Amino acid sequence: MSTWGNVVMALRGISSNWLRSMLTMLGVLIGVAAVIVLLAVGTGSSQAVESQIDKLGTNTLTVFGTGRFGGGTSETGTQTRNADLTINDVNLISNSNNAPDVQSVSPVITTSETATYDGATYSTSVVGTNPAYLTASNYTISAGRAITAADVKSHAEVVDIGSDVASNLFPTGSNPLGQEIQIGSAEFEVVGLLASKGSSGLTDQDAVAIAPYTAVQDQLTGESESFTELLVQGKSSATLTLAQSEVESILAAQNDTTVADLPFSVLNQASLLSTATSSSKTFTSLLGWVAAVSLLVGAIGVMNIMLVTVTERTREIGIRKAIGAPKSVVLGQFLIEAVVISLLGGLVGVLAGLVVVRFKIAGVQPVLATYSIPLAFGVALLVGIVAGLYPAYRAASLRPIDALRFE
Amino acid sequence: MTSATLNRRRSRPGPPELDGAHRQWPVIALSDIVKRYQMGGNEVFATRGVSMLVQPGEFVAIMGASGSGKSTLMNIIGCLDVPTSGHYRLDGVNIRDLDDRDISRIRNRKIGFVFQNFNLLSRMSALQNVELPLAYAGIKPKERRRRAEIALDSVTLADRKQHFPSELSGGQQQRVAVARAIVTNPALILADEPTGNLDTASSVDVMSMFTKLHGQGRTVVMITHEEDIAAYATRVIRLRDGVITQDYHQEPIDAHGEHVLHAEEAIRPRAQGEGR
Repeated sequence: MSTWGNVVMALRGISSNWLRSMLTMLGVLIGVAAVIVLLAVGTGSSQAVESQIDKLGTNTLTVFGTGRFGGGTSETGTQTRNADLTINDVNLISNSNNAPDVQSVSPVITTSETATYDGATYSTSVVGTNPAYLTASNYTISAGRAITAADVKSHAEVVDIGSDVASNLFPTGSNPLGQEIQIGSAEFEVVGLLASKGSSGLTDQDAVAIAPYTAVQDQLTGESESFTELLVQGKSSATLTLAQSEVESILAAQNDTTVADLPFSVLNQASLLSTATSSSKTFTSLLGWVAAVSLLVGAIGVMNIMLVTVTERTREIGIRKAIGAPKSVVLGQFLIEAVVISLLGGLVGVLAGLVVVRFKIAGVQPVLATYSIPLAFGVALLVGIVAGLYPAYRAASLRPIDALRFE
Repeated sequence: MTSATLNRRRSRPGPPELDGAHRQWPVIALSDIVKRYQMGGNEVFATRGVSMLVQPGEFVAIMGASGSGKSTLMNIIGCLDVPTSGHYRLDGVNIRDLDDRDISRIRNRKIGFVFQNFNLLSRMSALQNVELPLAYAGIKPKERRRRAEIALDSVTLADRKQHFPSELSGGQQQRVAVARAIVTNPALILADEPTGNLDTASSVDVMSMFTKLHGQGRTVVMITHEEDIAAYATRVIRLRDGVITQDYHQEPIDAHGEHVLHAEEAIRPRAQGEGR
């Protein structure tokens, strides 16, 4: 008998007991959909983490005092003095003799202020820094100009504002450039607009005002010589680790301590990325295993039903064998039935998966992993074959004389 | 059989396949068939050395009470079971030499089964049921349909071919089963208590089918315990305790005219029919 004839026969068998067939398919369906959805969630979350890290900047190291943030190795109680990042540190690191792999260093003072213009107010973070900061943290100017080294030197009260600040302070259509806005108690002139960067997950990177650190120190934070953090840009991603050790040894020398006891933490973007990537890979494969378990459960369901079906249809098998069905045909018939059930379940499962993937799950926007569709299909096919083989073999091996006597 | 079916799988040494019209040897040749079962440590003999020949065109009734070994014999003749010892040649082919696949082919092409409880597949129409053996023989759908329609026509069920078994009476179902048995044009039609589940009228109806098939020159072997059903046969073989006790030819009755009397007699309880 032809394969097609067998498929038609299988479909007839499936439809003759449709409720049971549906429930069996549901097992495979859920398994396949779980594979697709969970892999998509894994992929989505790892992409989200990567893009957040990407937004921190390109080839950057972030140095911040652990005294302020807590939890560092130096917090022994004896090391609390003088753990500040100063302009002296900045100058030492930016000297290419001391740190040949460092491209630029930006001192950063961050403070949160309310910006006001013409009655409109908006709460924004203010970053006092130097021009290199914009490049290192991937900010681009969409209009006007960036702050300059001359601005820094002259303590100029100028500011580049992020797109959220601009849209919240200025009415649409008006040109913020050249306008004076009030930040905290000081007036700053808007000299440039920053292109939108979106959220990094932790902070809104567009709710920012970037001004020369000298002006910020003068007007907002007071004459403190210390910085919140230093943003160091390496020359290339390959030498970022070298740059990190250069920065660490300079800071260690400055603070009369060893690299191990450094009162600062140096965050390497590249290592952060690889840590995050490997942990999200673990996460994804864990989700994959969960999905695999649910597919296994589906497979057991298919096998169970096929065994029931074979028992139920013992008499039919006997009749077929008596009128001349060879073993191979009986085997094929039941195997095809199991495969058809699994593939139908798989097909609907893929469709269900594609629908579910469109929604946010646990705060993660799933990203469909294209390989997961053929994977899920292949596994569904495999499930059908594996789960169908034993019951089909049992059916094929029945002796017609026993099968005919079966009531 | 058409040459199309005969030419399939010629390369393997299989049984010789013959045109029914030119058979030169017995359809059934049993010699000293013994079937022994193990039952809880005891050896039980179902047949204790049965030998018989059935020639082409015979209509044989094998009779015996339950336990006489007639069902075992029927299973052996139908290639559903193998004897413990002895030889069986079906249409010239020694069954002992065959593997599972060849046995399937033999059952498909040389034997047409008619069972007591019809054994039609309930999820298939009458036509599909009759087509099924042809499908297993590898015949193309169009030819299958044509031959199945002819077979249904010959059992006067052409107008019921799209009905499912559940929509047919017992007699009609058994006629579908007869059509299924003859559709492959087998050497032997093997009927196991074909009227066992039928009322009198249907029994007469089905037996007239067998008489007609016999009239066309077909070989029919029928297992029964009813004397009035055996009366349709040209030869009666009686079994008791696994051996043949009687083997004689007789003038068969046919299903017409005065033999309505037989039908009335058949109303008496079956248990009495099982007598010696």
